Amino acid sequence: MKSISLFVDNGVYLTRLHPFTKLLYILTAIAVPLLWGQLFVYAIFIAASMLILASGKLLKKALPLIAFSFTILLTIFIIHGLFHQGNENVLFSVGKIHFYREGLSYALHIGCNILNMLLSFVIFVLTTRTGDLVVALEKCGCPPKMTYIISSVFQIVPQMTSTMGTIMDAQRSRGMETEGKLLVRAKAFLPLISPVVMSSLINTRERAIALEVRGFEAGCKKTYLKERETCKLDLPINIGLLIILLAAIGGRVMTCLL
Amino acid sequence: MKNLFRTKLDAANIVLIPACIGINYLGKLFASVLKLPLWLDSIGTCLGGVLGGPIIGGICGAANNLIYGLTTGDSITLVYALTSLFIGIAVGIMARLGFMKNFGKAMITAVVAGLVAVVVSTPLNVIFWGGTTGNVWGDALFAVTQASNLPVFLGSLLDEIVVDVPDKVVTLIVVFLIMKGLPKKLTSLYEADDNIESLD
Repeated sequence: MKSISLFVDNGVYLTRLHPFTKLLYILTAIAVPLLWGQLFVYAIFIAASMLILASGKLLKKALPLIAFSFTILLTIFIIHGLFHQGNENVLFSVGKIHFYREGLSYALHIGCNILNMLLSFVIFVLTTRTGDLVVALEKCGCPPKMTYIISSVFQIVPQMTSTMGTIMDAQRSRGMETEGKLLVRAKAFLPLISPVVMSSLINTRERAIALEVRGFEAGCKKTYLKERETCKLDLPINIGLLIILLAAIGGRVMTCLL
Repeated sequence: MKNLFRTKLDAANIVLIPACIGINYLGKLFASVLKLPLWLDSIGTCLGGVLGGPIIGGICGAANNLIYGLTTGDSITLVYALTSLFIGIAVGIMARLGFMKNFGKAMITAVVAGLVAVVVSTPLNVIFWGGTTGNVWGDALFAVTQASNLPVFLGSLLDEIVVDVPDKVVTLIVVFLIMKGLPKKLTSLYEADDNIESLD
């Protein structure tokens, strides 16, 4: 069964870092440019994320994740380039259509923000094993019931997608149309989704009983099957990121006060 | 009213959450396989709200976006965790108030859920995307409003209403039909105001 996690186990140093270190990087990469708001800050962090991805040999894997956002970015550029409120100066024209400087620079800001966010998240997504994240959350005091939800989703979704394949085949073999006009496709939605939903809800009852029998709600302290090896890079990276973050906040406060 | 937010965090309810998150994922998958112009990615959240109450619904919604955002690279959904959270809570409250009893009332729930989604998503859209939603129909409308010099906020609001309200209406129709078909054996697990009576 195909997992929905995109974790790539190629053994680079990024996979050995603590998940929270990578989360702190995301926080820094998003907060610092938002605080300063200049384009070159976005550019620095986009470049930094690219370099990190390249150092983990993950650029190729990251590309499809970024690519899907391009259609959205394109609509933003078109809509704001053409119709942004503050549009005054024409930058260039295609036939009778004028693209304006203000709208495009606004769209560029949004585009950089999105790209920056996506890239910093992609680092986390591609290099973090779900199990590691769950253990890290539990060790810092997250209730086991919550962490169970996370790890359970990764078991349930592949199961459900395979059930979905079965049901699609079954309904098609009974002559249901899944292609054609919008109405035809819309009509196919209910017969496809209701059997999967029903069966997965009915399965929850059995799963609940199975968990209860195995002491899910026992109050005692639980142990871990796997111990994560510590990584020496965590501490210096964390300190470095915190310094950058604090410097950005401090600098921003200073410029506001002065 | 006392039972409105009452929630049992027992195994049955905890297991319901991942199942609902899976259902959300399937809804989205089917919508994209059938190329429907709606998202349909909150069927599970609404089911969670109807079965487990507002708290479980809210957890379903928020956890859904957080988990997919942090593991499947769809980090755009992360932003809308707030929207999902409030959809779950709204549907949960409506269901506890009895607004899932018949089809007409379920449609009122759908409109409420849709409006909640609109109210929460619009500021997010404006902050992160400058007003667009990523849905073809909605964005075309947004372009029209911008061309006629309406404020960004109003344009984005209309953009959201056009997409979210029909989306939630279809979602709640599916949820209503599914709830009708679920066996009592299962739904009785989630009833909050049950008491155990002693026969002695």
